[in-house]
This record gives sequence, C-alpha cells and structure tokens, in this order.
Amino acid sequence: MTMPQTRRRFLQSGSAIVALPAMESLGFRRFASAAAKAPAAPPKRVIFLGFGWGVTETTWFPRMDQPGAAYDLPEGLKPLARHKADFTVVQGLWNKFSNEGHWGSTMWLTGANRYAQAGQSFHNTISADQVAAAQFGRHTRFASLQFTASESAGGSGHGPGLSLAWDVRGKPIGGQSTPLEAYHRLFSKDATPIEEQQARLAEKRSVLDTVLDNARDLRRGLGKQDVDKLDEYFEGIRDIETRLSKDEQWLGVPQSKTSLPEPKPGLAGRDEIKLMYDIMTAALQTDATRVLTYRQPVSTLLTSLDIKVHPHDMSHYHGVLGEKLDASQRRDTAQSELLAGFIDNLKATKEPDGTSLFDHVTLVYGSNLRTSHNLDNCPTIVTGRGAGIRLGENFVAPKGTPLCNLWLTLLRGMGVEAERHGDSTGTISELTV
Amino acid sequence: MMNHRIPKMILFAATLLLAAAVAAQADESRVAVSERQRAFLQSHCAKCHDATTQEGKFRVDDLPLHLADLPTAERWQKILNALNSGEMPPADEKQPPAQAKADFLDELANVMVAARKSLGDQRGVITMRRLNRREYRNTLRELLGVEINVSELPADVGTGGFDTVGSNLFMSGNQFEQYLALGREALDEAFARQAAAAEQPKLRFEAEETLVRIQKFYDDNLDALERAKRWVKALDAAAAKPENAAIVAEIRKTAKDDSFFRRDWKKIPGAPAPEEFGFQTVENNADKANRALGYANGFMRPYHEYYLRQAALDAGAYLTIGIGNDLNSHLPQLVPFGWPVGEYVVRIRLAATDHAPPERRFIEFGVHPRHGQVLSTHEVTGTMNAPQVIEIPLTMTRGHAERDNRTLFLREKGSSDHYTRTRVIFDQAKRQNGIGPEVAIWVDWIEVERRPTTDRPPAPGLAALGVPLDDKAPLPMKAELRATLERFAFEAFRGRTPPASYLDRLLGLYATRLKAGDKPTAALKETLAVVLASPMFLYLAEPVESATHRPLTDEELATRLSYFLWGAPPDAQLRDLARRGELKRPEVLAAETERLLNDPRSVGFTRPFVSQWLDLDRLDFFEINRVLYPRFDDATKMAARDEVYEMFEHLLRSKDSLGDLLQADYVVVNGVLANYYGLADVHGDAFRKVPLPQKSPRGGLLGMAAVHVMGGNGERTSPVERGAWVLRKLLNDPPPPAPANVPQITRLAGKLLTTRERLSAHQEEPQCNSCHRKIDPIGFGLENFDAAGAWRTEDRYQVTDADGKPDPKLVKTWKIDSAATLHNGPSFRDYFEMREIIASKSDDFARGFSSALIEYALGRPCGFSDEPLVAAMLERAAKQNGRMREYIHALVGSPTFQSK
Repeated sequence: MTMPQTRRRFLQSGSAIVALPAMESLGFRRFASAAAKAPAAPPKRVIFLGFGWGVTETTWFPRMDQPGAAYDLPEGLKPLARHKADFTVVQGLWNKFSNEGHWGSTMWLTGANRYAQAGQSFHNTISADQVAAAQFGRHTRFASLQFTASESAGGSGHGPGLSLAWDVRGKPIGGQSTPLEAYHRLFSKDATPIEEQQARLAEKRSVLDTVLDNARDLRRGLGKQDVDKLDEYFEGIRDIETRLSKDEQWLGVPQSKTSLPEPKPGLAGRDEIKLMYDIMTAALQTDATRVLTYRQPVSTLLTSLDIKVHPHDMSHYHGVLGEKLDASQRRDTAQSELLAGFIDNLKATKEPDGTSLFDHVTLVYGSNLRTSHNLDNCPTIVTGRGAGIRLGENFVAPKGTPLCNLWLTLLRGMGVEAERHGDSTGTISELTV
Repeated sequence: MMNHRIPKMILFAATLLLAAAVAAQADESRVAVSERQRAFLQSHCAKCHDATTQEGKFRVDDLPLHLADLPTAERWQKILNALNSGEMPPADEKQPPAQAKADFLDELANVMVAARKSLGDQRGVITMRRLNRREYRNTLRELLGVEINVSELPADVGTGGFDTVGSNLFMSGNQFEQYLALGREALDEAFARQAAAAEQPKLRFEAEETLVRIQKFYDDNLDALERAKRWVKALDAAAAKPENAAIVAEIRKTAKDDSFFRRDWKKIPGAPAPEEFGFQTVENNADKANRALGYANGFMRPYHEYYLRQAALDAGAYLTIGIGNDLNSHLPQLVPFGWPVGEYVVRIRLAATDHAPPERRFIEFGVHPRHGQVLSTHEVTGTMNAPQVIEIPLTMTRGHAERDNRTLFLREKGSSDHYTRTRVIFDQAKRQNGIGPEVAIWVDWIEVERRPTTDRPPAPGLAALGVPLDDKAPLPMKAELRATLERFAFEAFRGRTPPASYLDRLLGLYATRLKAGDKPTAALKETLAVVLASPMFLYLAEPVESATHRPLTDEELATRLSYFLWGAPPDAQLRDLARRGELKRPEVLAAETERLLNDPRSVGFTRPFVSQWLDLDRLDFFEINRVLYPRFDDATKMAARDEVYEMFEHLLRSKDSLGDLLQADYVVVNGVLANYYGLADVHGDAFRKVPLPQKSPRGGLLGMAAVHVMGGNGERTSPVERGAWVLRKLLNDPPPPAPANVPQITRLAGKLLTTRERLSAHQEEPQCNSCHRKIDPIGFGLENFDAAGAWRTEDRYQVTDADGKPDPKLVKTWKIDSAATLHNGPSFRDYFEMREIIASKSDDFARGFSSALIEYALGRPCGFSDEPLVAAMLERAAKQNGRMREYIHALVGSPTFQSK
C-alpha cells in the first residue's frame, strides 16, 4: 500500500460517507417541534448492556423445559415481572471461540477467535454495536457512545478492552466512565464562537498532519509486517480525521438540550448505573446518538449494596454457597431492578409520532460469562420492539447456536445490511415476529 | 478446582485454521503422533471411519501421523474433541480401556500443543512495536526526569505472552489522544520541576503536639462526666421530693432504665434542665448527658487512660489502633499546599517500646490516609533509649493536588488493612488485658524536606531545549526555535534526525499557538507534546530493505539492549558507543551488558520479566481470608511478592546458580518476611541473603509464600493450580490448556472429604485423568503449605450450611499426607523428597527460563527455530555454574539478538 498523496484526499473517500449527515435528523426535529405534519417514522436505536461476571445460574435462567410464553419467571428476574410480555430470554447461545473464564465482555459482541492470527495471542474483531453505528451513526452527532464503569474492568469480570465496543479493526474503543463525563459529552454547551471552533479544528488537523509526516518518514524502508503494524497508527489518525470532519459538519448546530440535571460527581454502583440509564434515555430522546453500549460496574454495585464479598469470589459461589451465593443473587436482583426501571423509562418516553422509544429500540442485556468460568448458554435478554423480535418468551435455541446468530438477527431486524457477523452461521428465524 | 473436565469446545482448531498463513515444513519442527497410537484408532474408530463407511464423512484410515499442515492438524483435533467430550466412540459401541484412552488423550493433547507452536512459529520475524505502557513511562522519565501516572493507557498485559511482543501491542485514535495528553502532562511536570529546582522547603512535625488534642479529648470526656453526674444528682433530688412521688412512679412504670427515666426530666417539677449543665443538643438534651455518663465505665476509657500514663509523651507520641475516637492511628502529616513538585525525603525518628513483640515492630508509610496504598513497610529497630531515624524517599507530582493525596500517613503494620480486621485486633487485646492493644511504636518527629536538584544536570530532553523555560525571556528567533525543536526531537527519537518537513510543521504549530494567545512556554509545550505522540518516539522501528533478516545497526542494537535490560531508552554512553561503531565489539557489548545490569534501572527488566514469566498477577486474584490467616497482612503480601523479585535480582548480582530457584539453602528476605517465616535475627528493610537451618522447607520458589498463595483461593489450597504451575514454570512441561465449559460438580459439595479424596474424582474419567495424573501428585506434595504459604501438618474441612455458616458437627480434620507418585516417575514420601526430584530437573527449568527470556527480549514467541540459541544459552551458563548473567550474555551476544 502506498500512502495517498495528501491526507485530505486520503480522507475524502472516507468522509464522503458522512457527507450531508445532519439533514435528515435535523429536518425530523424541525417537524417534531412544529408538529405540523405527520413526522417521519422514528429511527431505530440499539443499546447493549454488559454485566461482566455472569449470573446465578440456578435462580436467573428460566427452566429450559418451559420454552415459549408460558414460563415461570425465576427469582433473579422477578423485578422484571411487570415487563414479562415485553422481553425475551434467549438461551443456548455461546461464542464458541471464547476460552477465557474472566472475560465477560471482551468478545461478547464480537464472537472473535483470539488466536485467529498466527503468533498472536490476542485478536479481536468488530463488535455488533459498531456494525450498527456504521449505518445509524451517519445521522447523529455521535455515531455511537460507549459508557463504561469508572473502576478497573478487571474487578468486574469484563476482561481486556476499554468498553464493550471494538472498532472495525478489532481495536478497543474507549468511552465515558462516569455519569458526569457522559452528561458533559452529550449536553454541555460549547459557547465558543464558530470561528474559534474552526480554528481549533484546523489546528487539530495540523497536529495530525505533523505526526503523519513523521509516520511517513518512519514508514520508509520498513518490512511488510512492520508496515502493517504502523498502519494501525495511520488508521488511528484517520479515525480522528473522520471525527473532525464530522465535528465540522456539526459546527453551529447547538448541542441537544435535556431536562436532566447535571449528575453529581462520585456516584458509584447502583446509583451510577441508574443515572447512566437515565442519561442513555436522554441521549436517545434527543437523538444525539442511536447506538449505545454500557459496560456496567459490578464491584462497585456490590459495595453499594453493602456486600463485602469480592466480585470474583462471588462468581465462584458454587463451592461454598452461603454469603457468596447470597451476594450473587442480590446482584442479580439489583441488576434486574435497574433494567426494569430502564424499560419503564423507554416505554414512558414518547416519540413525536406518539409511539415510545421502546417501540423503536433494541436493547440487549447480557454477558459472555454464564456463571463462574462457564462460557456457554450466555445469559441474554432482548427487549424493545426495534428489531421485530418476538417478545415475552423463554426462547431456547439449539445448543451450540452462535451468539453471533442473534447479533445478526437483531442487526438485520433493525435494517442494518450485514451479511454475517463474527462466527455467525445464519439468523435465528424463529425469533422474528 | 473440583472440576469434571468434560470439554465441548474446540480449543485449538480455530487457531490452526487461521494460522494458515504460516507454513512449517522444517524438520526441526516435525510434530507427529507416535506410531503405536495408530493401533488405538484402528481398533476403536476404523470400523465406522474407514474408506468404505466414512461415517460422518470422517476417515481415520488415511490420516497422516505427521501433523505437517493445518488440515491434518484439524482432523486430529476433531478426534481429540470427540474423545474428550465422550461423543466417540458412541455409547452403544465397545469402549476403549480407561488406561489406553487416558494415554492416547495425553499424547494427543500434547501433540496438539506442539503443533500449534510449530505451525505458528514466526521463524524469527520480529514485528515492530510501539513502547508498551511501562516503557513509555520509563522513557518519559529518562527524557524529562518526571514520574507520570500512565494508568489510563492500556496495560498491555493479560493477552497472553509478554508485554514486549509487538504483534500484541495495538494503537488507536483514542490512544493517540491519550499520548498527546500525557505528553503535555509530562512537559508541564518537567517545566514545574525545573522552575523549582533550587527550592528546599523543610518542616518538622513534633509528634508530642498530638498530646494536646488527646489530653483535651480525655479532659472533655471527664468534664462532661462530672457535669452529667451533677445533673443526675440534682435530678434525683427533685425526684425524691415527696410531692413528686406520684409522677415519678408514673414515669418509672414505662421507662426501661435510668437513662429513659432521665429523658422525661421535664415532667418532674423542679428538676434542672441538662442545658444548665452544659449539654446542648438539638433534640433531647438528656441524651447527651446520658452519653457522657457512659464514659464512667466506657469501652475506650481504659485505653485513653493507658495512653496518657505512658512515658515520653512530652517528647513524642505512640501509634495506636484506631476504632473510632481515634488517638494516633495514622499520624497524618500534610505536605503544605504550594510546596513544589519534585523529590522529597521523609525522615521519621522513632522507636519500638520495650515490651513490643517482634511482629509489631513494623510501620507502614503512605499517602492518603483513608484510601491510600501503603508505599513501603519499615522495621523499627530503634529502642526508647536509642531511637532511630528512618529515611523514606517520596515523589510529589502535579497529581498530588488535593488535601488527601498530599497527606502522609504512618501507622502500625497491618493495623488498617480493613476496618473489620482493626476491630478484631483491638477486641482481642481488650479481652486479654481489659484495656486494648499495648502501644508498640513511639514516634519522636516526622520531617519532610524537598531535595533541590541544582547540583544535577537537567534531564536530557530539557537540556536539549537550550532555551529559557519561562516567559520572561524574549521570544526565540525562528532559526533558534527550529534548532531547539530539532535537538529535542533528536533526543526523543533516540538519535534519529527528524526530516525538515516535520520541523516546518512543528514550527507552524508553535506559531498557531502563539497567535491563539498562548504564552511562549505554553506554545512550546504544546508543540513538544506533538513530538511525544509522533511515531518515531512511540515505535521501536528497525527498517529492513527486502529480506526479513539483517544485522542491526549499532544504534538499533543500543536501543534493543537498553529496552531489554532497563525497559528504557539508551543513555548517553550507550548511544555514544553506538555512534562510534564500537558497541558491536563483543567485549564492549559484554561490558555494556554488565553496566546496564549493574545500574538501578535494571529493575525495569527484572520486575516486569519475573512478574510475567511466573504469572505473579495471580497474587491479586484472591483476597486472603484474614480470619483464617491473620498474619498474612497486606505488608506481608507486599514482601512476599518482593521476595520473588529480590531472589531473582540476587541471582543476577551474585554467582549463585539459576537452579537455586528450585532449591536453595538460603532465602532472600527482609525483616517482615523473616518474621513471617520464623527466621530469627533478621532485621531491617533491605532484602538480603540469609542461610537456612537444616531441613527448612524454605529456599527456592517452592518455599516462597507468594507461590503458595497463588496456588490457592485465599481460603483453601488448590493442588491442581499448584501442580499445573510447577509443570508450566519449573518443569517446562506445561499441561495442555484446560478445556472451557466444564460444569462444576456438586456431587461432592457438602461431603466430608479430605482434599485428596475430593480430587480422586479426577481418576474416574480418562479425559480428566489424562492431565490430572501429572498435575495432582505435585500438588499433593505441596499440601504442607497452607493457602497463605505457612507450613502446616494438619488440614481441616468444614461443611457450611445453605446460609454459609460453618456446621460445627460436620468437621473433618486430617494429618497431611504429602506422599505421592509422579506420573511415570518416582515416588516421594514428603515435600522434601519431591523438592529433590524437582531440583534434579534443573535442565528443564533452565530451558523454560531461556525460552521466556528470548520471548521477552526479542518481543516474539520462542519457536522451534530458536532451539540452537536455547542450546547455546544452556551450554554457556552450564560452564559457569548456571549463573544467571551467562544466559543474558549468551542471548545478547547471539546473532539472533543482533538481527532484525
């Protein structure tokens, strides 16, 4: 590969995709406020919530021998009873390549084989949310937003990564790690005059030009494998370029407004998750983004529930039961309560056409870890009507069905043109309405 | 631990599938299933899977034994999976004998591991890499003389392999922005340090100053008690009046006790108000008076009085155990706001009290009393007659901005690991003496002083700037500025000259910043930060023209050597030798290797290497249960981890043999660990070589607490983890990775069984036994070490009920039997005999160590093609009694190390 002559030209091919992005959603909002005509159909949105260290298998999963709508809600899902007709538990799925019993999130949305490249002990591929973002993200200020917990991921059973999201090259994508950061990212007003913002963008570009100059010089004479390695740097810079182009297109478009007050700093655990859910609702409501992921805290959740058990120890409750099992079950209940509240929010938030956010969103809640170090039958709940999935069921897929078949089913259900995803072998047609 | 291994997952097939790009035909990498296994396939599989039947479209009759390519390897993997899962032979067919099946699985699993290595062999190709997180931090330190918190960057570990393996080190746009921000931070820090170079503020805090507060606290309690008593007396007098008898009787009827009675004082005519006696609360003022009365026989009063009775309170203070009503549990000391960043020294004059037991003669030092990590532990050897002064270095950065992280603390070791533990310590002492923990440490004063740096040359990056680092000087001319940027970039790029176009762009950025209103230094820092995010700084590049291998240039060799042995860039001397073309001369290279290893910066090699080689991060996987193991406190854990490093560093310094890691008649410990191991007469904070008594279980890795803690879950030992670790790390015979998706068996939960009885379940199924027969016996031989690494002769198991409460009726205690027989190997009667057996395999150990060293140093997996290098390292070291430096010299001197 030879470098394009100028960075600008290099970029043009990329930015052509994001050209004229704002019109559709801006137009939509104008209609909405005027309420003059019937507005266009509200857009599709997608949310992935990952909770690291699995669940309590005996009290979280519905019975496998009760498939369909007439199943008994297990203890761990009781807080979701009021939504029972509106979510589906999908059982029997897994990522067949996953082999790390401490990685609840690393490959959850990717289904990648970490050994896929010879001589490398770590490799990942694009996550399902980013596949959606490539299409949905053209219309919003943020192609996607990644929220994550402020603690180190290690304590919460997520595994390597900066969030649930991995980019098209399988590199981790970072995000906002506190409700306050998330809030500011979404709703802070930028009072800077446009000329100054333009100057700032130009300066950022010249910073990139400078390091690219250096990179090109370094590139000279490198072997093939090293060139590939350095290309990661070029691609990283290109990502920023793409973002700058998008910023440029959004110059002068005011930030979304929200009635949500600014969060207090220092929230942790249950309150933190609840607030993140509120912010996510607001983000969708204002159409600031249509793709959200949240890598939820587990260790601080336990602390906020006044549980003293170490989160990793908790996931090993099988041998000792007692307070570790109790911690595991209380964690399940707390997480289900929070999810139930989030679903309430989505149902209560109206779209301009009178439907609710819930009618257009696809929300997935789960982890790559079932319980302890087990990686099969990944706990998975799907809710929201955005992807045309049958809701209200205990759906038991044939054992060994790739989790990526579900991701593909959801992506296609939302209208994302994806041929396959990860190790998918097809869609799960029985799941669609 | 108690797992039935019933694998369902294809573990390697996918690896092999996608490793297709790499072909391996070389003879040295020949991986084959042995001829005798063909009979197994013939008798148990061929009936259905031959040329004619081809059940499931799978044939075994034409399967080559040599796994020369991926398709063949995949077919063998299918056989392994089918047998492992019990899928084949089908249940209604004749089953192979258990022993034969276990042997077959054992061999095949190991062949698959070898095949993965062989088919994935990089054949010496090293992928260019960026600086990993710790190298980036070290490089900024060498360049700018600053310490930067890099925890926001990816850790670069945890993906398997070492953090030097370039193909695993990634880059993203996000990370680029973090480099920009961290570079800015480093420059801010460096400029701030430079500006304060001459400052030398100093303070001394006399510990007796705390007495005023403690005395007042005690006096206030007594005063309140006296006032409360007077109030009660007056109240009782009013209540005793005959005309109040009826109302008093009425109150008494409902009041549970006297204090409830007194809460109703208002109903008694003539009773005085508590306010008149100085008790002012928002609600019922009687409550405060009642509480004051409680001090008469209060829980803490004896402890307070005990403290105030101590000698030498006019000259110092004692450390206390703090459970509320804190006296001196932390001795907090604020480093004043406004004191600049830089290197500080903290001096503490202190002594152990005469009656302090040996295990309490230690202090912990750190920053941030509430949440701060302990930075260091120190043994107190001074006495009340002859106190000592401990000196502790401390770095203050711009990150130390808030009160909490500018506050130093000093406390007794293990006294504040967790509040529940503190409570236990206090209560135990109180039960014994009716007072509380006796004081053990007396502190005279604490001094904090900044060390000026005017006598030292500025860090090379700053020296290269050659312009004033403040805004008072006139703006530099463009040519001057250009030269400044060039010198800085040259230094940052480890001796590479940046191209002119790059410098032009940097100048443009500087001009833009000035135009935007930046002060000159701010604009300069902003520009330099871009240099620190440029690829020539971030990447260790070694260009090649066409062929994959070529000798390194001298400059490249200097860089490779210093990042290997320091984890940091080459210094002036090394670069100078390289520039003069002398570095490649064997005697020069050997001398430089010696110099680098003797330099304190070599901890940038020893610690990350040892930690990753021996998987020490497992030490942080579990919390030690402090109810079961009260002595293994945080400071002991820190010392246990350090012991592994210090032993390795001892071997690197001395002429002792690498084999001493398997067995030695000495340990390398400090006072904390000597106390934990029960070794007399070892005092102080420095780790040093200490001879062991005869028949000591210590000495070598197998005697280290850290190793045994890693082989357990903080409560119970795991013979499986320990056995597998010994096979992987000491015997260079790693068991195949455990298949995932293993259901935990609950069949044995709640049963009263010994550990060995429990693990005997592994023998039931051949697919478990094929690996566990190698792993478990080694673990049994280590059972005399408990989960906190202390020696024991008994173990017990107690069943817990559904609520997690131990059931006192269901307890089993047994004497530990550490005798076992190694698979296809000798028997041993106890740990000591097993240690002899393992120590006799020092060649296997040295081979594993050499492979790890190669992978770490070169940043690529050690493959079959490295066999000659491994052999050369072993040979050279063997001539020098296995001295560790010889391995390093052999590696550094090899063509492999000196080639791209």
